Amino acid sequence: MRKEIYSAFDSVHASRELKDRTRAFTARRQASRPRSPRRWVAAVAAACLLLAAAGIGGHWLYFTPTAAISIDVNPSLELEVNRFDRVIGVEGYNEDGRALAALVDVTFQRYDQAVEEILNSETVTALLARDEVVTITVTGSDTAQCHRLLSGVEGETAGQPNVHCHSANHDQVEQAHEHGLSYGKYQAYLELRALDPDLTPEDVADMTMGEIRDLLRALSGQGPDSGQNGRGEGHHGQEHNQEGARETHAGQQGGAQGAGQGNGAQGGGNQGNGNGSQGAGGHRYGR
Amino acid sequence: MRSEREVHTAIERYGDTVQRLCLIRLKSHADTEDIFQTVFLKYALRDAPFDSEAHEKAWFIRVTLNACKDLLKSFFRSRTVSLEELPGLAAQAGPEYSPVLEAVLALPQKYRDVVYLHYYEGYTAAEIGALLKKNTNTVYTLLSRAREQLRETLGGDGDA
Repeated sequence: MRKEIYSAFDSVHASRELKDRTRAFTARRQASRPRSPRRWVAAVAAACLLLAAAGIGGHWLYFTPTAAISIDVNPSLELEVNRFDRVIGVEGYNEDGRALAALVDVTFQRYDQAVEEILNSETVTALLARDEVVTITVTGSDTAQCHRLLSGVEGETAGQPNVHCHSANHDQVEQAHEHGLSYGKYQAYLELRALDPDLTPEDVADMTMGEIRDLLRALSGQGPDSGQNGRGEGHHGQEHNQEGARETHAGQQGGAQGAGQGNGAQGGGNQGNGNGSQGAGGHRYGR
Repeated sequence: MRSEREVHTAIERYGDTVQRLCLIRLKSHADTEDIFQTVFLKYALRDAPFDSEAHEKAWFIRVTLNACKDLLKSFFRSRTVSLEELPGLAAQAGPEYSPVLEAVLALPQKYRDVVYLHYYEGYTAAEIGALLKKNTNTVYTLLSRAREQLRETLGGDGDA
């Protein structure tokens, strides 16, 4: 029986097709299997990439300045404001400005809080106490944001008579930066230059806004508190101009006189004849 | 994971064993391919090495028997026939086996296992007990009862 049973089972074989199909199946599954961890890695990588992209996008959104608030007293500094009205950078445009920028820590604050903190800083309160003038200029490419920032800043500074708020367009700010000035000071510089073309941006950079205003008043010959001195200067300027005009006039006259004298000398060399001949000639031609 | 070559060698070496185990366990030819796929894929994906060839063979037997058990347990499988198989079902009355094999396959399943493992694979009662997680004495009992039944069916001399 043992042999019979053995040979009975021994006659049973797996078919060639079944073996081949099984082989193909395992090969297929084995080939697809290592791809699954790879797919996982790819999925994780994609997720990471997406996160990174979102991060970079968010970073870009947050850290791209869309507006600037320029604050000028003598310290000139500018707050870079992002689209969420947060301060993302403070830049000083002169030495005092840099010192003040280093002193106040307003980065990542809301713009109105930042302005408030700067206006309340010791440096600025001391200057305001000396009746200095603060000019705050809001600039940016987004008009809506500029309006919002300006009204916010105006609200913040409503109680302070010596604080002036403006808004300006982006190109003007770029020009200001090219000259190494903050926008508020650059505007003042432009006004000054119209009156005195010799002024350089460097002259203005370290003047306080109050000094600039005084100088403006002085140069334009008006202003209630520059009074006599301003008028005097203006008057002097006029006098100087008149003198210049007179000098020119005298010069012309002198030239004419010289010419006359020369003629006279020449005439003196051969008096009578010359004149006579000239006269005769004149007469002759005249006739 | 094993190389394609290793899997190929294993299919050639143990394909017949798996086929025979399917025969004593399933009876249905249609399910044999499922078992083949299950068993050899498991082998292909197995990283742990085998101590010996005997260990490897025992592993194949155990995995095949478990796969057959799982297949039979599945209610859906046991009660349904797929549409693809249906046309061939009437014609496929099963291959013609020798009377001895028919007699073995007519035995209850618990006898079929021990008969195959003992008479064909040459395992001792103790080894069969280890493989099937059964008491050695139980295996002895199963073997002797299987022999009795076969003797009755085949009218043989019973030399085991």
